Amino acid sequence: MADPQQQARLEALADSLSACADALHQRLMRALRKSTPDGALPGISQRVAQALFEQEVQLRQRANSLYLDAAMQAAGGLQAQQQQLAELAARAELIIARIDRAKDLLDLAGELIGAGAAIASGRPERMLPSLEKLKHHIEAL
Amino acid sequence: MRRLYLMLSTLVLLSGCASSTPRMAEVRAFAADAPKLGAYHELTERYRHTYQRQQPFMYPAADSREQQLDARRQQACDDFVKLQYGLQAYMQALGALAGDSQYDLEDQVKSLSTGIKAWPDTGLEDRHVNAYAGLVRLAARAFTGPLQENTVDTMLREGQQSMQQVLDAMRTLLRLYSKSSDNEEDLVIGMLESEIPFLDTTRDRLLLALARSRQQEKEAEFRLIGLRFTLARKNLDLIAQRHRALLQNLPAE
Repeated sequence: MADPQQQARLEALADSLSACADALHQRLMRALRKSTPDGALPGISQRVAQALFEQEVQLRQRANSLYLDAAMQAAGGLQAQQQQLAELAARAELIIARIDRAKDLLDLAGELIGAGAAIASGRPERMLPSLEKLKHHIEAL
Repeated sequence: MRRLYLMLSTLVLLSGCASSTPRMAEVRAFAADAPKLGAYHELTERYRHTYQRQQPFMYPAADSREQQLDARRQQACDDFVKLQYGLQAYMQALGALAGDSQYDLEDQVKSLSTGIKAWPDTGLEDRHVNAYAGLVRLAARAFTGPLQENTVDTMLREGQQSMQQVLDAMRTLLRLYSKSSDNEEDLVIGMLESEIPFLDTTRDRLLLALARSRQQEKEAEFRLIGLRFTLARKNLDLIAQRHRALLQNLPAE
């Protein structure tokens, strides 16, 4: 069964890691825009900037890993529910097939009456196409 | 006299052809929304391919961490996409069951009457034919009308909880994909942002131009993705809302 509480805990933890990464990024960008005492830009060395950014990336990756854990919690244990929906859909198809068969039988009844009338009229030239149609229908059933 | 009788009975027959109830129309409208689940599928696939998009912007240490995450993500996404399949099949089956023509045997009834009319010299008169067709129609409606409502209601009742739970899960997943996507955005654009200031405006002019234009493209891409997330969420909300309305209108068992 999916555990909503565990999922919420993981998500909240990931949210706070993302927020830390955002704060770190803002500080990094501020430092890059601020010039050194001798007026040179950017205000920190590339090595320091990359080290800071690496910290930020680590935080974001940890956060994304936790988001994935939370997602697995949310989706986990829903097999029974999915199964049930699929079974209901299959049952509906059976019902529809049954109705289609009923329609076919009604069609057939119409043709039988037609053939019966042809026989009653005593005109063989009318009988033949009717019987032919009936034969095809029965074969198709 | 015979013509009058025929006209009268035709009128009776026509008035008997009323299609299914407004409630069944609501079920069909609900089912027609099934393709809207496609937005969820699309965003799940985007989530699955996070690593490929991020890879060029990562240092080796970050890359190897991301590879481990990617392996887990690939596996999980196989399950995440499946969530919508049962839901979609269920919605479409409901729509087919509630279909306007599904329980409509009018065509069959008509072919019955025309089949007989073709033989006027057998002693079968129009009034016999019409009386017969009327009876068949009555029987067909008495049989199929309540059957349709009952079957649809049963399907709605039995699927109710599963449908809600799966919808909830999909909504949660969309929210988590979106948060993960925000981190991807900050990781990719942040890398460009923090490296661009170290480029020499004269010596690295070409690189600078390429980096800036790439940054613009990426910003536009994530803006668009943000809109897709909003749309996908709205689609799920709409389906959930229509589903709730259908359940509220269910007659008591």
